[in-house]
Amino acid sequence: MKRGLFFNIDKSVRLQQINIISCVTMKELRDEPPICLPGQRLCLSDKIYTSGQGTYERRGYIYSQLAGYVDIVERDGVKVVEVHTSGEQTVVPTQGDIVTAQVYIITQQHCKCFIKCVGDAVLRRPFRAILRREDIRATEKDKADIYKSFRPGDIILARVLPITEAHTYQLSTAENELGVVIAHSEHGHPMVPISWTEMQCSKTYIKECRKVAKVVPENVDQETLKKRKKSE
Amino acid sequence: MNLMCILYSVVPTYQPAQKSQNKVRLSQVKVFDNNFKRRNMAEEYKSLHPIKYYRDCLAHDIRPDGRAFDKFRPVLLNIGSIDTTDGSAIAKVGKTTIVCGIKAELCKPKADTPNQGFVVPNLELPPLCSPKFRPGPPSDQAQVLTQLIADIIENSKCVDPKDLCIYPDKLAWCLFIDFVCLNYDGSLIDACIIALVGALHTLTLPSVDYDPSLDNKLVNLEDRKPIPIHSTLISTTFVIFDDKIILADPTVDEENYCTGIVTIVLKGDELCCVHKPGGSPITEDDLFDCIDKSKLRSPLIQNLIKTALKQK
Amino acid sequence: MPVDHKRINGPEETVPYSLFTKLNTKSLQQQFKEQVRDEKRSDNRLLLEHRKIFIKTGLVSQAKGSAYIEQGKTKVIVSVFDPREIPNRTDYSLKGEIYCEFKFATFSCTKRRLHQQDTEEKQYSALMKQALDSTVCRHEFPNFQVDIYAFVLHNDGSALSAAITAAGVALAHAGVPMYDLIVSATLGIQQNIKLLDPSVTEQWLCEMPVPLDGKVGNQGVIVMSMLQSHEQISQFYQVGNLSLEDITDSIKILENACKELIPLIQKHLVKHVLKTMKNKSEDK
Repeated sequence: MKRGLFFNIDKSVRLQQINIISCVTMKELRDEPPICLPGQRLCLSDKIYTSGQGTYERRGYIYSQLAGYVDIVERDGVKVVEVHTSGEQTVVPTQGDIVTAQVYIITQQHCKCFIKCVGDAVLRRPFRAILRREDIRATEKDKADIYKSFRPGDIILARVLPITEAHTYQLSTAENELGVVIAHSEHGHPMVPISWTEMQCSKTYIKECRKVAKVVPENVDQETLKKRKKSE
Repeated sequence: MNLMCILYSVVPTYQPAQKSQNKVRLSQVKVFDNNFKRRNMAEEYKSLHPIKYYRDCLAHDIRPDGRAFDKFRPVLLNIGSIDTTDGSAIAKVGKTTIVCGIKAELCKPKADTPNQGFVVPNLELPPLCSPKFRPGPPSDQAQVLTQLIADIIENSKCVDPKDLCIYPDKLAWCLFIDFVCLNYDGSLIDACIIALVGALHTLTLPSVDYDPSLDNKLVNLEDRKPIPIHSTLISTTFVIFDDKIILADPTVDEENYCTGIVTIVLKGDELCCVHKPGGSPITEDDLFDCIDKSKLRSPLIQNLIKTALKQK
Repeated sequence: MPVDHKRINGPEETVPYSLFTKLNTKSLQQQFKEQVRDEKRSDNRLLLEHRKIFIKTGLVSQAKGSAYIEQGKTKVIVSVFDPREIPNRTDYSLKGEIYCEFKFATFSCTKRRLHQQDTEEKQYSALMKQALDSTVCRHEFPNFQVDIYAFVLHNDGSALSAAITAAGVALAHAGVPMYDLIVSATLGIQQNIKLLDPSVTEQWLCEMPVPLDGKVGNQGVIVMSMLQSHEQISQFYQVGNLSLEDITDSIKILENACKELIPLIQKHLVKHVLKTMKNKSEDK
């Protein structure tokens, strides 16, 4: 097999790929990224092409792990071969990922949460995770109080810490952009952030303490909405 | 498309309004982008705040799958496809799939009911059909539904145990009616009952020559006869949402987040069983309304069963 | 057997009616000859011919991935779920685990089966796990387990190989990282006649010694699973008495049989990928 087989946009090369997946007609493949199946040899692994997400390397070749389409990303002069599934990807959170989680138990030392989304992928099955008191904020770690930062039911953004021997994931909100994004007051009404430590109930105007995440203001949100409506 | 627009317009849940945060930093945009501004935003919203998501949808007079409140999902019925059984049917209500297989065996009648056979229904909810279930003994839900089906069969007398007797006090049929759920997407009982009726209509039993003096049985496999079926059952499920909205033919999510559930089983034009296990109260008018709706649906399902039988 | 309190139990003793039919007096040899006549089988197949296979994915909408396979009359449905934490474990495992459960429906065989998993089903589960362990990139989800459930609706022979093939398709459908596509095939051998993809009667006859002219020949059933592009055998299971040459021959036959299945599976998965990609672009 020649190097970089069907990555050249050359049409004859694409035909070769069709031979591999015998049933796809030429018409279906035109203007569409190459499709691959698990175990399909994609190309030679060398200085130019390296194995990325959704692929593995074996005896000098890059193979696909998934049924999906091939994508090549150039990073630092190296072409990384990636395969993405066409449907939902099977994801598990890994170190450094930003996750959306829901708090369900708080104690003095830590709070327990369910990870509901990893990046932009919604999980069908939530994963359990733990957020310790010292990981709530970046500065004055000792001053942080769990009950002044989170309440059960809050939706938080957090980063996954390196996975240790422990069985559950550990999260951290020690960044400005991380913390509570959606919360409800004691009376069950949605709350609006007023500073990075406080949120206010939209109905009763009672203030409650939270470790608030800084998020984009509403106007940006509206603009994208308008654009979307126009395009529709 | 229409539905998506509705979702986008109701989605803003987070409105930081104060001026201090008006400076937008790139990193912030990215975080927000990563988590809320994607195509599958509706899905994320659904995962994080399911009840609110439903309320928002229902406030716009539409259900998340695009149906109107009183609209039923399409029903499919396939009968007699498994020939290791004596009668079988596969019913689909929306995506909910139930396989019903009937196997007949011979046994001795009980001493206190010498002229009756047995009907033994069981509903299996294997872990295959939904992430809710784990391998092991039947869940509480499976047990409750099994009992409900058993009660429906017994009360409606769609199969009379007396028809299953071959020789009083000596020999009778025992019908093992097994339901297996292959995909759990709500309104299980509805699908079970449709599959049951379909399977019963295909059920044939071989004739048995019984000699009581010698206790000798001879089964003639060639001579198979259907058993009398006394009534056709139709079940319809409704859920009550926030004490006031009533949704017909719920999906599994609607069943999970609702506040009450009502199952109405009709036998022809008669009411056979109303099952309402707790939950929020339902007014008399609403209940009658539900019964009327199931009456309207019943001829449609009966037609479906007839067509399925003809196609066989 | 302890009483199952969680199900409705029928009368204490029931017997299948097939026991009281007119006695089948034919010898096993005669029965086998009825099945295979002049290189043709009772359903008009050649000795080394597959039955018609039908595959469909996405039947179980609640599962991450699912596949339904019909191989002749044999019908198996397999569903795969998202990784979840391994229950009852406290130590860290570098590689993820695969949990397989193989179950026959109570009405799937001629004799009624019980609701609980019996030893045969347990063994099949273990064989499935063995076949799939080397297929899935388990290092991609450390500390987690992927659940795979296979359910046989109708058993007309070769149910295990149908389940393994379907599980491979379901895993790919679920987007679980895999080293390769996996396919599996069954071969029955009796009196030196090899039958590919045996039906339930053929399988039953191959599983027991049938004397021919007073001698007992080679007999047995082999289930073999293969990784397609790497041409590796991931699982091999054999019952019966077979000579070494017979086994070598059988492996060659099964290898070819597996290769015959590959285009079908590829075709189906490519169709699935194209379809979801189309849906995605329409959504945008």
